[in-house]
Amino acid sequence: MPCIYICGECGAENEIKPKEPIKCKDCTYRIMYKKRTDRMIQFEAR
Amino acid sequence: MSEELRQLVTPHIDSYDFFAEKALSIIVAGLPPVYINNRAENADSTQKHWRLKFKDVTISKPIKSDNRQLFPTESRQSGTSYSAPMVGTVALLKSPTSDEEHETYNVQLGNIPVMVNSSRCHLRGLTSAQLVKNHEEELEVGGYFIINGNEKVMRMLVANKANHPIALTRQGWTNRGPGYTKFGVTLRSVRPDRSSLTNNLHYISDGQITFRFYFRRQEYFIPVTLLLKALVDTTDKEIFTQIVQGDFENTFLTDRVELTLREQKVKGLNTKDEILDYIGSRYRHKANLPDSFTNQQIAEYMIDNFFLVHLPDYRDKFNILIVMIQKLYAVVQGKNGCDNIDATSFHEVLLPERLTEYLEVSRAMYLKAINAQKTINEDLAFKKAFDRSLNIGEKFNYFLATGNLVSSSGLDLQQTSGFAIIADKLNFIRYISHFRSIHRGAFFATMKTTSIRKLMPESFGFLCPVHTPDGAPCGLLNHLSANCIITKDPSQDEKSKEGVRLLPSFLMAHGVTSIDVTTNFQPNSLPVMLNGKLIGRINDGLAQDLVDLLRYLKSTGDEKAVPQTMEVAYAPKEQSKGGQYPGIFLFTTGARFMRTVINLKSGKNELIGPQEQLYMNISIMPEEVRDSTTHCELSPTAMFSVEANLTPFSDYNQSPRNMYQCQMAKQTMGTPLHSYAYRTDNKLYKVQNIQRPIVATENQSKYRINDYPHGCNAVIAVVSNTGYDMEDAMIINKSAFERGFGHGSVYKNEFVDIDEGKSRLEMGKTSISRPNYTSDNLDQWIDRDGLPYIGRLIKPGEPYYTVFSTIENKQVTKNYKGKEDAWIEEIMILGGSTQVRASTMITKFVVKLRFDRNPVIGDKFSSRHGQKGVLSQLWPEINMPFTESGLKPDVIINPNAFPSRMTIGMLVEILAAKAGAIHGKFQDATAFRFNEKNSAVEFFGEQLKQAGFNYYGNEPMYSGTTGEEFHANIFFGICYYQRLRHMVKDKYQVRATGRVNNITRQPIKGRKVGGGIRFGEMERDSLLAHGTSFCLNDRLMKSSDYCKATVCKQCGSTTSVAIQKSNYSQFTSSTCITCKTDEHLTNIALPYVFTYLIAELASVNISLKLQIK
Repeated sequence: MPCIYICGECGAENEIKPKEPIKCKDCTYRIMYKKRTDRMIQFEAR
Repeated sequence: MSEELRQLVTPHIDSYDFFAEKALSIIVAGLPPVYINNRAENADSTQKHWRLKFKDVTISKPIKSDNRQLFPTESRQSGTSYSAPMVGTVALLKSPTSDEEHETYNVQLGNIPVMVNSSRCHLRGLTSAQLVKNHEEELEVGGYFIINGNEKVMRMLVANKANHPIALTRQGWTNRGPGYTKFGVTLRSVRPDRSSLTNNLHYISDGQITFRFYFRRQEYFIPVTLLLKALVDTTDKEIFTQIVQGDFENTFLTDRVELTLREQKVKGLNTKDEILDYIGSRYRHKANLPDSFTNQQIAEYMIDNFFLVHLPDYRDKFNILIVMIQKLYAVVQGKNGCDNIDATSFHEVLLPERLTEYLEVSRAMYLKAINAQKTINEDLAFKKAFDRSLNIGEKFNYFLATGNLVSSSGLDLQQTSGFAIIADKLNFIRYISHFRSIHRGAFFATMKTTSIRKLMPESFGFLCPVHTPDGAPCGLLNHLSANCIITKDPSQDEKSKEGVRLLPSFLMAHGVTSIDVTTNFQPNSLPVMLNGKLIGRINDGLAQDLVDLLRYLKSTGDEKAVPQTMEVAYAPKEQSKGGQYPGIFLFTTGARFMRTVINLKSGKNELIGPQEQLYMNISIMPEEVRDSTTHCELSPTAMFSVEANLTPFSDYNQSPRNMYQCQMAKQTMGTPLHSYAYRTDNKLYKVQNIQRPIVATENQSKYRINDYPHGCNAVIAVVSNTGYDMEDAMIINKSAFERGFGHGSVYKNEFVDIDEGKSRLEMGKTSISRPNYTSDNLDQWIDRDGLPYIGRLIKPGEPYYTVFSTIENKQVTKNYKGKEDAWIEEIMILGGSTQVRASTMITKFVVKLRFDRNPVIGDKFSSRHGQKGVLSQLWPEINMPFTESGLKPDVIINPNAFPSRMTIGMLVEILAAKAGAIHGKFQDATAFRFNEKNSAVEFFGEQLKQAGFNYYGNEPMYSGTTGEEFHANIFFGICYYQRLRHMVKDKYQVRATGRVNNITRQPIKGRKVGGGIRFGEMERDSLLAHGTSFCLNDRLMKSSDYCKATVCKQCGSTTSVAIQKSNYSQFTSSTCITCKTDEHLTNIALPYVFTYLIAELASVNISLKLQIK
């Protein structure tokens, strides 16, 4: 499952593979947010 | 953007704009050139010294490495500085005097920090919608710098009023030399670029006066008449008549002037040229000017740069020096009193524009550049030298990051650190008050005397009397009143620039005689000064009319010659006995305090300054206007700062409580901002259930505090109910808590830079990745990329992220070091904004962690009246007392909180909010709206009565447990409650066993490292007094550094006991080496430090004997 990163400026979703520069492919912005996982993670269900 | 909010930070922004747009070019033009020797062989004598000079320096707007616009949000998120390139040109001139250029060089001066929302910022002029689009606050007003991701504010400091001679006495001056007295006149002379130098006149006991100035951090003295004669071609007679002004009757004055002239005469020095030559010869070795300079040139250089620098013209310098001398003699004679230098009337503000002064650094730097390069005829070498060492931006960055000033001259400042502070975004009130705070100076914090901390009547309306911290910085760290503005520099304001130009002729037309035509004295005349320049004299009788006229025109703003920001400080002659030296002192300079009052004559608003306020009649309420009243306040609350004005009904409270509230408002977990997703502040607080207060002052909405609320309206009962409300504890209804009362969270951002602290070789070799994802069994914690999953709850010690090192070819798992469970809210990876190419590996990232911080027992809460308390119990709602209508309180506090603290404002707030809630309206709580005749209790009581409540807010209540009615009626209503940021979770300290000190083996201190709390001498005393010796033994020995030691009873030594390992056996045996036997050995219990003490003493040849029975 590849990791998706969201551009901090334009919001485009990027898949950054190893050895690829960390920037948005659409707008070259260099701050990327990691996308929230769609995997089930822990719940605090009491 | 809100105009009112913008107004609050204007001093900062105006000041930076002045720096970037005006001052930079002024200072560059005024920077003294660097002289260098021309070593070329064919150089003739005129070309022996060449000259290096900055031609111009410009700051552009912030850009990124790929030449795109850099917005503040990116700097903030990536932890870099928001700065713009500064470029300069340096010219190499062929001789010390002419302007013939040999060559010009373009030099990159580094990146200069840019103030957000200044003229150099991309955010300037954006609408709210555009700001939000750029990931800023809707109400972003700027006024700060972003340095390494932190928001830094230049702290406003108090300075002496520019260009105004102030007479004072200083005991310390008496040891300046023989005969020196405590009397003096000081003048802080401010250049057009707003850098300053202070000059002093000293009175010597025989009547002479000397002039003191600073040059390269050293003091120099010059006889004042010598200086006068150096400034203009004059005679002793002229000096005498100028000073005495026809007052020949005054033999005190005439005697002293005569004596000064006689004593300070240097033989053979008569003309101006001779004296200049003389002064120049004295400073030749100090001035560091080329040898080809004549003595006269050197003297002129000194006069231009160090004597009364606000006036370039020598005649003007002469004139003001005469005024200073007159003032000094008048004070010594007792005709006038000393000025109070601690009063706001003689103060102005030091603002970020002092960055300009910092440019001075550049001079030192290019000197360095040249020294490295001996010959000047190699252009390439020159260029190299410039490239290497002219990174001024770096210096500015350092200055703002640390607040430390590195300067050779000291810049006429009394401190070298504390110039920049972090604008803490804890809540909006705290944030905004950073921009309004003004400090008296670090130097004064060390003074033992308290007179500087005093609240002076002069500061009324300019500095808030309520909003100052209690404790160490009390009275030194003040806040500007909400209505107080700081004037712009005339060069920034077309109107006042025009005014300064036209004003002298306007004054001449209205009774002032120009100084150029008053060759002789005029009896009964007052000096008229404009920005520290004597422009003329006016007849005593005409002065009041002129001042009234100026005030009138100032308020209407119709006359071009009279700018509205002009201060008309008129010290009348009638009040000069023991008071200020009389005269009319006009100021149009920048950085002065000013505030708005109503001019009753014109009916319009007039700006007044603290020095003119002294002699004005201003009524606070319109009904107080008398015949002599000339002005009226806009509102009685005009004296308060923004924050002090948020306290509801503060006029009903005891005044220290209002001070406490100002402190506490700044500690509330409120709403610091709305753009949480785009912020990477180290720590941010957030409260979930916030409300607009039902009872609020006008300022609450005026300054948009309602957009950033900081508490919630809680139903409160003032009753002593269970015992859990003793000593300022408060009970919270458990169901209220479950409904979300006070719920909140803390955000922490962790910046991780894998390359940090690594050598250059290792850099760039390690990055976040997880190549072994198939085999490392970390899927539960860590995603494929090596970072944790977003939204996961991470616990202490769990795997956090994995890094892969190409050097070791190994994947390493890093664990979460925090001590508290946290939710991974957000992860940002940074591609690096400074390099030209984006990084191809994840080496820098930010993890935003969220900590749940819902109220627990021990967390702190407060109302808006300095009434703080801790949560003592979450009380089940079924057991809460209830009123007849079935209301149950959210909060119960003890009535004992009121009698001694006298926070009647809180009681009124509860009444008002109760009435407001039932009638569905927000209540106005602005101070001074009610009075004895029209009382607040009556007003809100009526409202309550209308709604069917008890007039005074009391209600019968029933016990929640038994259902019985209480014997007394309970005061019951609604009060706005703030949650303070002090939480038990950050403070609790508990330890069973843990780390100990290596040397003493005693438990260490400090909460962070799991240390204990010291059981000190006084605690020991109390156990002794109780006779609980076992308990004492347990605390001080068993639970501390208990150890067993072997001691020889015969010789009483522990050090002589040797432990030997017997051969072929795992057992050891001990013997005493001195007694050569083991029969007296015994084991005893000792504190380990004691054995350590024995060892230490042994090392200095002292043996310690224990007598064991």
